[in-house]
Amino acid sequence: MCASVKYNIRGPALIPRMKTKHRIYYITLFSIVLLGLIATGMFQFWPHSIESSGDWSVEKRSVRDVPLVRLPADSPVPERGDLSCRMHTCFDVYRCGFNPKNKIKVYIYPLKKYVGEAGVPVSSTISREYNELLTAISDSDYYTDDVTRACLFVPSIDLLNQNSLRVKETAQALAQLSRWDRGTNHLLFNMLPGGPPDYNTALDVPRDRALLAGGGFSTWTYRQGYDVSIPVYSPLSAEVDLPEKGPRPRRYFLLSSQVALHPEYREDLAALQARHGEAVLVLDKCSNLSEGVPAARRRCHQQQAFDYPQVLQEATFCMVLRGARLGQAVLSDVLRAGCVPVIIADSYVLPFSEVLDWKRASVVVPEEKMSDVYSILQSIPRRQIEEMQRQLSMNPARREGWSAADCQRSSPTPREQCNSEIINDRIYPYAAISYEDWNDPPAVKWGSVSNPLFLPLIPPQSQGFTAIVLTYDRVESLFRVITEVSKVPSLSKLLVVWNNQNKNPPEDSLWPKIRVPLKVVRTAENKLSNRFFPYDEIETEAVLAIDDDIIMLTSDELQFGYEVWREFPDRLVGYPGRLHLWDHEMNKWKYESEWTNEVSMVLTGAAFYHKYFNYLYTYKMPGDIKNWVDAHMNCEDIAMNFLVANVTGKAVIKVTPRKKFKCPECTAIDGLSLDQTHMVERSECINKFASVFGTMPLKVVEHRADPVLYKDDFPEKLKSFPNIGSL
Amino acid sequence: MQSWRRKSLWLALSASWLLILLRVFPVLRLAEPARRQAGAPQGWPRWLDAELLQSFSQPGELLEDGPQPPQAPRGGSCYRGACFDASRCRGGGLKVFVYPAVGPISETPRKVLTSIEGSRYHTASAAEACLLILVLSPDTPAGECHPELPQWDGGKNHLVLSLHPAPCLRIFQLGQAMVAEASPTMDTFRPGFDVALPLLPEAHPLRGGALGQLQQHSPLPGVALIAMAEERGGWRTVGTNFSACPWDGRCEQDHGPKQTHPRATLPNATFCLIPGRNPDALHFLQALQVLAALQEMPLTRVLALRQQAQFLWDAYFSSVEKVIHTTLEIIQDRVSGASAHPSLLWNSPPGALLALSTFSTSPSDFPFYHLQQGSRPLGRFSALIWVGALGQPPLKLIQAVAGAQHCAQILVLWSSKKPPPPRWPETAVPLTVLDGHRKRTRFCVMREGRGTTLLSQASDRFLPYSAISTDAILSLDAHSSLSTSEVDFAFMVWQSFPERMVGFLTWSHFWDETQGGWGYTGERANEFSMVLTSAAFYHRYYHTLFTHSLPKALRTLADESPPCVEVLMNFLVAAVTKLPPIKVPYGPWHQEAKPPLVPGSPRLRSEPRPAAQDCINQMAAGFGHMPLVSSRLRLDPVLFKDPVSVLRKKYRSLEKP
Repeated sequence: MCASVKYNIRGPALIPRMKTKHRIYYITLFSIVLLGLIATGMFQFWPHSIESSGDWSVEKRSVRDVPLVRLPADSPVPERGDLSCRMHTCFDVYRCGFNPKNKIKVYIYPLKKYVGEAGVPVSSTISREYNELLTAISDSDYYTDDVTRACLFVPSIDLLNQNSLRVKETAQALAQLSRWDRGTNHLLFNMLPGGPPDYNTALDVPRDRALLAGGGFSTWTYRQGYDVSIPVYSPLSAEVDLPEKGPRPRRYFLLSSQVALHPEYREDLAALQARHGEAVLVLDKCSNLSEGVPAARRRCHQQQAFDYPQVLQEATFCMVLRGARLGQAVLSDVLRAGCVPVIIADSYVLPFSEVLDWKRASVVVPEEKMSDVYSILQSIPRRQIEEMQRQLSMNPARREGWSAADCQRSSPTPREQCNSEIINDRIYPYAAISYEDWNDPPAVKWGSVSNPLFLPLIPPQSQGFTAIVLTYDRVESLFRVITEVSKVPSLSKLLVVWNNQNKNPPEDSLWPKIRVPLKVVRTAENKLSNRFFPYDEIETEAVLAIDDDIIMLTSDELQFGYEVWREFPDRLVGYPGRLHLWDHEMNKWKYESEWTNEVSMVLTGAAFYHKYFNYLYTYKMPGDIKNWVDAHMNCEDIAMNFLVANVTGKAVIKVTPRKKFKCPECTAIDGLSLDQTHMVERSECINKFASVFGTMPLKVVEHRADPVLYKDDFPEKLKSFPNIGSL
Repeated sequence: MQSWRRKSLWLALSASWLLILLRVFPVLRLAEPARRQAGAPQGWPRWLDAELLQSFSQPGELLEDGPQPPQAPRGGSCYRGACFDASRCRGGGLKVFVYPAVGPISETPRKVLTSIEGSRYHTASAAEACLLILVLSPDTPAGECHPELPQWDGGKNHLVLSLHPAPCLRIFQLGQAMVAEASPTMDTFRPGFDVALPLLPEAHPLRGGALGQLQQHSPLPGVALIAMAEERGGWRTVGTNFSACPWDGRCEQDHGPKQTHPRATLPNATFCLIPGRNPDALHFLQALQVLAALQEMPLTRVLALRQQAQFLWDAYFSSVEKVIHTTLEIIQDRVSGASAHPSLLWNSPPGALLALSTFSTSPSDFPFYHLQQGSRPLGRFSALIWVGALGQPPLKLIQAVAGAQHCAQILVLWSSKKPPPPRWPETAVPLTVLDGHRKRTRFCVMREGRGTTLLSQASDRFLPYSAISTDAILSLDAHSSLSTSEVDFAFMVWQSFPERMVGFLTWSHFWDETQGGWGYTGERANEFSMVLTSAAFYHRYYHTLFTHSLPKALRTLADESPPCVEVLMNFLVAAVTKLPPIKVPYGPWHQEAKPPLVPGSPRLRSEPRPAAQDCINQMAAGFGHMPLVSSRLRLDPVLFKDPVSVLRKKYRSLEKP
């Protein structure tokens, strides 16, 4: 502006002398405008294209423009790493506090460029990988921009490669961070530690109490339960797209693809190859490389050239040998290719070994056993190899080349998420992710179940059971049920769920007098799911759900049912059994209540089960099933059967012979047409639930439980349960 | 000229306006979205030149990081590869030698020695062993800490074991020896090399041990949420409704209702809090607000923790023997590398001590993990018919079994004195005769040298014959009588319970007050706890477990009294599953066709002879507890004896022959 005003004053005096001057004047004006544009407006126009990223408020937009920090030569240097650090000594957990989501909060320092006194930068400002890593943190749930709320601090100083930084000055840069405080709660990332000649296995930058997520830790630099071991990133993983290959036989049994191996190792490998011929392939650098192919992408065996990393997919086992550093980028390539890594690097702390079970996805061989590696691998059963391959191949994170397990599906950089989760697990151990969640590929989870009641035990008989009667207004029938059930020796409490909001339950004095406590629960709404609510009044593990019209069960039958439940406390144990069938004509499931040789469900009109399933039904029922059942006023029993079978993977137990039950399906009483509608509705329920569960969890069996001496030629009076099956 | 000036003025004006607009306008535009996402955190910037950033490593730097020669172990730092020479364990796997005690030793080291000597890895020869164990006694005076050990060799391939803090452990020059001690500190503990042991009370039982007290899966309503060990000894319990932090003096509020208990009786609580030696640990816990977290812990997780803790106790902690055998198993796993136990086997019932990795390292081969693996046992079975000393070829039985729907093969284990017949009946499935003598002959030669001859080894029938190609075994005696229908139905049932024994005839055990010991009977009763292996389905893994995991003493006992073999097999399966066997219907008409009783061999529904009665007590002593569990039910076909047309019934011949 100043310039243009000045020019304005002078201009008129000059122009009369030179006619063509106005052109220059225009040009100059335009340049000023252009300059102005560049200087002030240009960047503000840019956000148009990156509006979606939502980074409006961030000032600087180029890495080159970050503020410069000059470190005085005498600025403090942190202590060397404290090897005795543990979470409860060096980590300030008070900063993390207790929060409802049990998530730690991570703060990232703003990016700055650090230079020494002479103006020489202490390190490259930031590498592509570190930028991606910080972006991933910033996009995760762990991120906070509020430094006061943070529990973990991540400096933006790039320490990934020790070779590209000046050790002392970098340490000084760390020490002057605003919240450094001896490195407490600071997390540093490093992939290539040490430098020639001795190659330390941990970052040499003095870091005091800071946590280190490092690639290539050895057991003597790794602070168990404090540091985190991470893999070394392989840039090839991002460049090359490898097609999926299933666990099928591969061309080579064992492959070595590393180029910089010590001659001693190379001799061992050559000997292996000489002994086992075709099965072993040892690759090296290519001497005469064709033009245009980067050296990293080609490997040679004698004159034969191979594409790397594609060749890794041709082998069952791939060697990962230590170099100067323990952590090798080839591990990432090997994992990604679905080749089972054979790790020969004594004392190497495998990436994320705190949570990942490397036994399931790799073979670790001591260095001194290297010459025997072939026979060691040969001794692994085929099935186990396939399981290892499945462990590798089912793994989406493998695609990122970062880790052996699925840390965080579909996130851009799962590795950082892994770090945060590991540290999160340590800080909130009680909310920690289970071993299975860390290690089981989704396919394993799909076919398998982890029974919530997995411990084999038989609950003591003395505990007894709680009978729950759901009733609406059939008081007379209800009272008969109560009287009958109260005769069962192991009954410890009776709970009546009064589902009628328009009518009060009968007065206390009218209820039958029974020997156990009787409680009436009134519900707010007439819903079928009220039957399965985990009422506080239920003090026993065993629950008997019984309809208010089931009066035909004898005391022996009920007591026996309870005894059977004690032997199968994780199952539904019920009286009338039902079956689901596949209707080939209609191509869908069908409900069956005829006299069949098989059973896959029991009706909860009379069934024993564990109280825990009430909790599951009420709070963990998948999809909209619970509401659907309440809306249709039907199929709550089928839903319960689905739920229990799905979570335990086990079949129901039907007890005692078939009886005529007065129930909606018992056709003798109700009309035929009613029966048919009912069966159609029940079939619909099965199809609906199967689609919500995404599978058919019900298990079909051909057995039922009877007392040991049932119908045996044995004096009736000596039988424990003589009155079984009578009408 | 005028117009020039005006023009230039106008131009200058417009230029300055343009500049002002350019400066102001973007600011206005910026203000808009910024307001929209007020409160949203500012993330890490998306750099304009992110694409231009350099990689953290130079091309080729990752390929060639300077090859290093294989390194010798660094001083003082041991890990498995360096300080343990696993090549010495080649051949026969882990062989363990233990230095005998010098002079009188106290109770606990004695138990440790007994446990090691009872292990299947134990060897009496130091030269043969690849692991040498030195058991330290807590009462050894500090002056006598350096025993003369000829094989010491700087501690290589040695394990120094101490169940209680021994002063020697601090003085002893451990060198390259591994250390197994209770509650080691992080500073001295070498992960992957040393072994951390639980701190056991003096009175910890040698074997068996008290079973876990957990009787039900979920906590009883109303029990205390947390019980805390107090420094002075004793426990303090805290209920579910409290607001204060009960262990810290800094808490201002009242500690709320609390109860104190003496040390001896562990109170009934869902969680027990045992603060570590480090005073910081308490503050650490407090900062995490553990109590609040425990209160909010989902029921599913509480259940899982309870059960897992109980499982760990039963599997690895409840006796000195289990602790020692677990230690050896850990080292065995390190030695065997790739054929070590997968984690699943360590961490789910019945635990790694009962899931032998020598059998398989693939969980689906075992009967225990089908649910977790989403797998199922093979849908066929092998019939293994044992023909005893005076047995005849069981032709009728072979026909009945071969007709079964899922029979894969018939194996006849011929232990009769007579030679097997040259011809066997034509069957739909392959029939193989196994020579039951081969093993015995060798044994006999050995015994004959000492002047004894044994007729037959009853436990031979439970050897893991390689001819058994299916998961399921139908174990039979030559004189057993079964119908095809019974076999079919029993196999269907077994497929639902592959970890249990499914049998036809049962025994039950009882506590005999008059004798003050256990007894068992074959009389029909309302409950049972054993099924006879003369007609039973079970998983082939139990043959391996029977042969390789049982103490020699128990197997010898069983060999001396044949009914004892049945008891032993039932003990073993019950100890593994903690569940009763399963009984399926058995036609009463078989009894009439009972063959003449053969002396010395187990008989169907035979009354155990008095001499054999004592074996159950010796078994119980050998196991350290009574593992048998009773059942009161029998599994019948769904329509069994129901008043419905017999044509509807799949297993109709179970009701009438």
